Amino acid sequence: MLVISNLLKQYGDLVAVDDISLRAEKGTVFGLLGPNGAGKSTMINCISGLLRPTSGSVSVGGFDIVDDPTDAKKLLGVVPQELALYEDLSAIDNLRYWGKAYGMRGEDLASRAKEVLGNIGLADRSKDLPKTFSGGMKRRLNFACGIMHRPHLILLDEPTAGVDPQSRQRLFDMVEAERRHGACILYTTHYMAEAEQLCDSLAIIDHGKLIAQGTVAELRAKLGARDVLQLSGAFPGDSSQQAIQKLVNNGLSDLELIAQEEQNITMTLSDASQHLPAIFAALAEVGGNVSETSLRRPNLETLFLLLTGKELRE
Amino acid sequence: MSLFLASTRKDLARWRQDTNALLLFLAIPLLIGGLITVLMSGSGGAKPHGTVLIVDQDDTFLSGVIAGAFGQGELGELLTVKKVTVEDGMANMDAGEASGLLIIPKGFTDAFFDKQPVTLILKTNPAQTILPGIISDVTEILLDAGFYAQQLFGEDIATIRDGNLEGLPDDVFVSAIAVSIQHKIEASGSLLFPPAMDIDIVPPPPEQPRIPYALLFLPGVILLALMFAANGLASDYWEEREHGTLRRLVYAPGQLTAFLAGKALAAGLVITLIGGVTLVIGFLYHGIAWSKLPSSLAWIAISGVALFSWFGALQMLAGNRRSGNLITSMLLFPLLMAGGSFFPFAALPDWIAALGRRTPNGFIADRLTTEITSATTWAIDIQSWLIVSTMAVLGLALCAWRLQTGFARN
Repeated sequence: MLVISNLLKQYGDLVAVDDISLRAEKGTVFGLLGPNGAGKSTMINCISGLLRPTSGSVSVGGFDIVDDPTDAKKLLGVVPQELALYEDLSAIDNLRYWGKAYGMRGEDLASRAKEVLGNIGLADRSKDLPKTFSGGMKRRLNFACGIMHRPHLILLDEPTAGVDPQSRQRLFDMVEAERRHGACILYTTHYMAEAEQLCDSLAIIDHGKLIAQGTVAELRAKLGARDVLQLSGAFPGDSSQQAIQKLVNNGLSDLELIAQEEQNITMTLSDASQHLPAIFAALAEVGGNVSETSLRRPNLETLFLLLTGKELRE
Repeated sequence: MSLFLASTRKDLARWRQDTNALLLFLAIPLLIGGLITVLMSGSGGAKPHGTVLIVDQDDTFLSGVIAGAFGQGELGELLTVKKVTVEDGMANMDAGEASGLLIIPKGFTDAFFDKQPVTLILKTNPAQTILPGIISDVTEILLDAGFYAQQLFGEDIATIRDGNLEGLPDDVFVSAIAVSIQHKIEASGSLLFPPAMDIDIVPPPPEQPRIPYALLFLPGVILLALMFAANGLASDYWEEREHGTLRRLVYAPGQLTAFLAGKALAAGLVITLIGGVTLVIGFLYHGIAWSKLPSSLAWIAISGVALFSWFGALQMLAGNRRSGNLITSMLLFPLLMAGGSFFPFAALPDWIAALGRRTPNGFIADRLTTEITSATTWAIDIQSWLIVSTMAVLGLALCAWRLQTGFARN
């Protein structure tokens, strides 16, 4: 359904999306993960036709978004990160208007608007103005406007940002429903838990580059069973690194130093909790001082840390 | 077509929510127009009127003729003649209540017949300009007429006066006087008939219907409504942009031009409604023929779309909403002043009026004036319709260009 080939988007010297290729199929949810500023929104804008790629191509259902935008856009539904609603137009009129913008009309338009309103739990508020809605209700209506025309590919750009847990769960249900109906969903987020819950496959990007891609299971396998250990405190540069190397040489062979700064050390190893005393002792020997310890089980969040050396939400 | 009409319906539904703004678009010009009309009512055709005070100390037939002359014919429409004593007359003049005071001294008639010098006293009100001049001119004409009558028929008049007639004069006396007068008329006939001067009587031009001053304000007041409404509605592009709906529109396969045309139609309908209400009130107040309403409304509708499209283009060319509002506001008021909304062109110096007619709103107001004051309907020439239509199309084209080159995407 979505094929991106060697997508490049530059603003002068700044490369926002750097030679990314990926593919998403019908009936799947494809997660696009990355921290703020990683290039996710630029990618979404290139896929949706809002931005013209510097090079490379984006194909939606076989139609190139640059060369054949009308046909490509008919298959595409976009749920933007910021609300895009007419606050002074009733909920049902918002849906009708956006349905018409995609060429819907007549009975199909009317019945679909009612159906979508029911799905998002706003059937009893259909005549009300969105400006009277809560934030979560507006988010749901924003979602509904994007799927009104039954798109084959849905771009969801951080749809749960600032949404209460109840509305978030309802949005997940709506995403699941669209997947069941055969839509391909490109879901951008920086919440790893959401991605793990919803996505069949994922791409992780940072600084515009694709740094990992695969199913959730495949990406988990990259981590193995190693925990991620983060230490905060004061760590003298070279001597701390030598102390950790010494631990590796003395039996902790799967310990891997991911990142080291003067106040932070990040490493991965199996059964990290068993080896904490030895690690603390080794660092203390070279004058290191541990003030805070964080030990995390392997998940996508730690995978991102492993791949980039930084937190996803930094 | 679907998006075009959907866009129109959508905007009409949205703007209907903001009834306060719509009422304000209507109330401002009605308030200003109402004030102007009240101030200007009745000033169009009123003639000046004053009082001439006569002190007739001679109290004879001849002095009565002079006093009565001020109340005759059209002069009587300008002046009220009031006989007073010297004291009352002076007091009224000092109070500025009269235009002039004429004192006819005792012995005036005798002096006239005896060809003796006599002085009439005329005092005029220096605070007035027109009526005192008229009184002075009329007095001089009367005295000139008396002088010539004296020169021509003085002897006959003296004969009648000195005849010591008791009862009716006999036929011989009357015949002698009549023959004497006849001879004098015949003697002067070669000078009088035909007159020594050749008078070419030029018929006055057919009288143009007088256009009340307040009526000349009506197009300007309607343009006030149109400009406020067009400017206010044009800022809706920023509303759409800030709410992300323009960006969402770019995601859709529908044409931006259909969206734009739909919005222009909605704006045109709202502006026509607002201008139409003002127009109908003006028609009722000034008694303008209703047959002119369709053409005037059509002119307002197309002009409204043209103004909306240009205000919209200016808004979209600005870097942000505040700049957009500042630019259009800076243009709005000078254009209204120059374009006849605060002062009709008839009240402006010619060169300013000529400039004002070249402003977009001045051009529209000028043609609307033609439409509502002419004797025929559909009086606006075809070139003017084409100019305004072209303005509308060009403005919309500029809006479309701006939407496609970034305004909708940001």
